[in-house]
Amino acid sequence: MIRRARLFMLLLSCVLVQTAVFPYLRIAGAVPDVGLVATIAIAYNVGADDGAVYGFAAGLAIDLFRETPLGLSALAFAATGYAVGVLRGGMLRSSRWVAPLLGGVGGLFGGLVFVTVGALAGREHLLTVHNLQVVAIAAAYDLVISPLIFPLARWATNEKLASGAFRAH
Amino acid sequence: MVVYRRGSRGRSVLVLLALTAVTLITLDERGSGGGVAGTARRAAHEVVSPVETAAHDVFSPVGDWISGVTDSGSVKADNRKLRQQLAAQRGREAAARAVIRENEQLKKLVDIPFIQDSDAVAARVIAGAPGNFERTIQIDRGSSRGLAVGMPVVAGAGLVGRITEVARSSATVELIDDPTAGVGVRLEKSGQPGVAQGRSGKTQLSLKFVAPDVPVAKGELVFTSGLQNSSYPPNIPVAKVTRATRPRDGLEQTITLQPLVDLDQIEFVKVLHWPKASVG
Repeated sequence: MIRRARLFMLLLSCVLVQTAVFPYLRIAGAVPDVGLVATIAIAYNVGADDGAVYGFAAGLAIDLFRETPLGLSALAFAATGYAVGVLRGGMLRSSRWVAPLLGGVGGLFGGLVFVTVGALAGREHLLTVHNLQVVAIAAAYDLVISPLIFPLARWATNEKLASGAFRAH
Repeated sequence: MVVYRRGSRGRSVLVLLALTAVTLITLDERGSGGGVAGTARRAAHEVVSPVETAAHDVFSPVGDWISGVTDSGSVKADNRKLRQQLAAQRGREAAARAVIRENEQLKKLVDIPFIQDSDAVAARVIAGAPGNFERTIQIDRGSSRGLAVGMPVVAGAGLVGRITEVARSSATVELIDDPTAGVGVRLEKSGQPGVAQGRSGKTQLSLKFVAPDVPVAKGELVFTSGLQNSSYPPNIPVAKVTRATRPRDGLEQTITLQPLVDLDQIEFVKVLHWPKASVG
């Protein structure tokens, strides 16, 4: 119950930061996907299934503020959460740089799923060279904010890792 | 080392979520923003708008600073150019005032809807788009002030966009340079109609459906056409022509427009209670 409340608080915080703060912090026309990075962090901590479910919820919440169809971010975030969870499960070792790297790579994957499925759903303007550049810049931004989000996700999932999120375990 | 054993349950969860998402996408696209999705969106905006208003005061200067750092190279040149334009503009403005006053009086006589006759609600921009792929702004007025979906939004220099989502105390405005937006316009000199469309990743617009034999001059203005079923009232300045190329195949001209309003730097707007939008 406490864990669910924490996850909800994390989700709500991500939505507020995404809608109220990051519109002012655009770099080269791009903003990071805070909810997507949180999804990646959750999947990294607790696995593919919970990562996918959290990603779906976080994506659906942010979809409420976007002009793109409701469910598009939910699908992209859920797929990313699942993929990161599977990838994490197959890793034999982890190290300090894995978490932010996953934030960047996962952000790139999620962004590509978003524009591709969006184009398939009838929003052809999403799949352009410019938007692919925006996805790449946003992924780099995701990478930068990952070290801030991963500890929060670890707190929300109540994972008592002996040596911290960025250390080998 | 952590080992996860992936079974059919994991895949089932993902498939279930994917199917749900695809169903939602389909329903939302068919529902055109209404129904449960529309209600949920309005409620979500209602919850977040006080936070957006508070965050605006705190983070707006930070955003300006970031823009200043990234755009500093062009600021001096822009400033010099703008001073020259302002001096020329003052001269034209003085001559134009008398003509505008006369024009307004004539239009009132024949009962033509004119922008300055419309009821308008002033609003402050409280946030930009939350994502990377839409061109929207949030304003601090909503249905409690009579705003409704479809109402045109203008700033001092011209058209900004139209309202696409309304909560009680806030609204979402789709800017005219959003790739999904289209504005029915007419050219200043020839009066020929066309459609100004946003271009993905560009601040400039494309002017479509102008016949190849219509003369189009660089610097020429375009105004809303106000044709039947148009989303906008007539004669609102929209943009000026920055480039016009006649086609070799004789099919359609390639015309690029620069919006008159700097859509990235809007602080205040006016929402027009335009007759057609209010009915709809």
